[in-house]
Amino acid sequence: MMQQEGTAMRFNSLKTMPKNIIRDTIHSIERNNLMSAASVVSVVAALLILGIFLILTINVEEVTKDIESQLELTVFLQEDFTDEQKDTIQDALDDSDLIESVDFESAEEALENFTVSLEDYAPLLSGYNSENNPMPASFIIKVKDPEDLDAVQELAMQYEGEGVEYVRYGQEYVDMLIKFNSFTNTLSIGVLIVLSLISVFIIYNTIKLTVFARRREIGIMKYVGATNTYIRTPFILEGLFLGIIGAVIAYLVIRVTYFYLLGVIGTSSFLPVDASLASPTVVLSQLVIFFMLYGGIIGAVGSVVAIRKFLDV
Amino acid sequence: MIEFRNVTKGYDKNKCEALKDVSLFIDKGEFVFLVGRSGAGKSTFIKLLLREVDVTSGDILINNYSIGKLSKKEIPYLRRKIGVVFQDFRLLESKSVYENVAYAMEIIGKSEKQIAKRVPLALEMVGLSHRINHYPNELSGGEQQRVVIARAIINNPTILICDEPTGNLDPETSYEIIKILEEVNRRGTTVVVVTHDREIVDVMKKRVLTLEEGCLIIDDATGRYGYEV
Repeated sequence: MMQQEGTAMRFNSLKTMPKNIIRDTIHSIERNNLMSAASVVSVVAALLILGIFLILTINVEEVTKDIESQLELTVFLQEDFTDEQKDTIQDALDDSDLIESVDFESAEEALENFTVSLEDYAPLLSGYNSENNPMPASFIIKVKDPEDLDAVQELAMQYEGEGVEYVRYGQEYVDMLIKFNSFTNTLSIGVLIVLSLISVFIIYNTIKLTVFARRREIGIMKYVGATNTYIRTPFILEGLFLGIIGAVIAYLVIRVTYFYLLGVIGTSSFLPVDASLASPTVVLSQLVIFFMLYGGIIGAVGSVVAIRKFLDV
Repeated sequence: MIEFRNVTKGYDKNKCEALKDVSLFIDKGEFVFLVGRSGAGKSTFIKLLLREVDVTSGDILINNYSIGKLSKKEIPYLRRKIGVVFQDFRLLESKSVYENVAYAMEIIGKSEKQIAKRVPLALEMVGLSHRINHYPNELSGGEQQRVVIARAIINNPTILICDEPTGNLDPETSYEIIKILEEVNRRGTTVVVVTHDREIVDVMKKRVLTLEEGCLIIDDATGRYGYEV
């Protein structure tokens, strides 16, 4: 008997819930303005620091990608390679899935390119011609994924002594970049965890105060038969709301700052390589989604924990 | 209506028992006083009915349904069947008389229209129509208690429990409050009044249940206060 009526009531109370709940949430944030402000500030601070790390990570990734895409692997051929050997190697490289493109550079072309790139020192090379060319012929390979450089090197080295003299690429350079990249990633995750805990704790405290301020009301609600969901929802909404407000403010600050930085740095990049800051569209669109989710989740988690502990319904 | 079957309730890991093997039956439409000294188990009786606490052993039935079988989610629906009036009123200071009563309907999801129709009727019944837009701190104790009664009956509970409803009131006001409770009872609601107020009990000549040290010692249908002070 009680269950049947219960179901009907439940449906009924869900229908009219939103109006009261939004009213209660806004009242509660007003009443607790100091702690609410503290919660928002903590989320903003956490997200600002996180934002800086994220932008750093995104940029390092962009730079790495840029540099990686410029990385080439050069397979130098023996001085006395035969056309047959050259074709065998070329076929092997063409068949590999890992390789983006293969260009053959003959000894003559190598000398020519070298001469062009050393224009200022042209006289030094003037004594060389096709007869006494010191430059070896080579395959210049671009790989699809820089992490496969090693594998491609091994592939080419199979022909060592059968046409291949040696293989070279900027191994140390790549390794360093990959390490730096994973370092910034780890650091960002560490910062994320610490700052999240702090934000959750502050929101948790705010909601605790809210629960405390409304304990009379909560008691009355219980006695007149308000459902647990009805009693809890305003507190969860409050946390959610605080988190999202914080996220919006942090996003706006980061957005303004990033555009300012772009203006300062401009194209005159101080980076030692041919790469600039990641484009604001990429960075900011990633950031806005992350911030909203983060703010919302932090807010909801903080209030759910507080409710579990302090709202005995 | 309300039935206790060998109910025992212990606190502190059962070292001290607030109720000991209590069995009683209150029929639909009855008006019952529950009396006893402080610590006799009166508060526990109310908490058990509302399932704020669970029985240690025994069974409590309301409308022949064992409330121990209700899941946590169903407890609010049990409480909607039971109106409660407190000694300390428990009104929301920031809300007017109308809003305090309306609040109980809002919480269970009644429409604005239903609320606007029923609240004035309830306030009229407790004789507070002229105070509808006042705030609790502008009212006398007796008037505040009337608001609480209006709030407790607004959702048509089948049972009305009053915990020392006249504890903070002078004798004359107390009598008026009891008269209102009698009127609520006359309209079909089962009323249980927990009280110390000997005069009221003696005047009303209703059934009196007396608790002492957790035991039901007297169940007197003729309305005598069951123990000597």
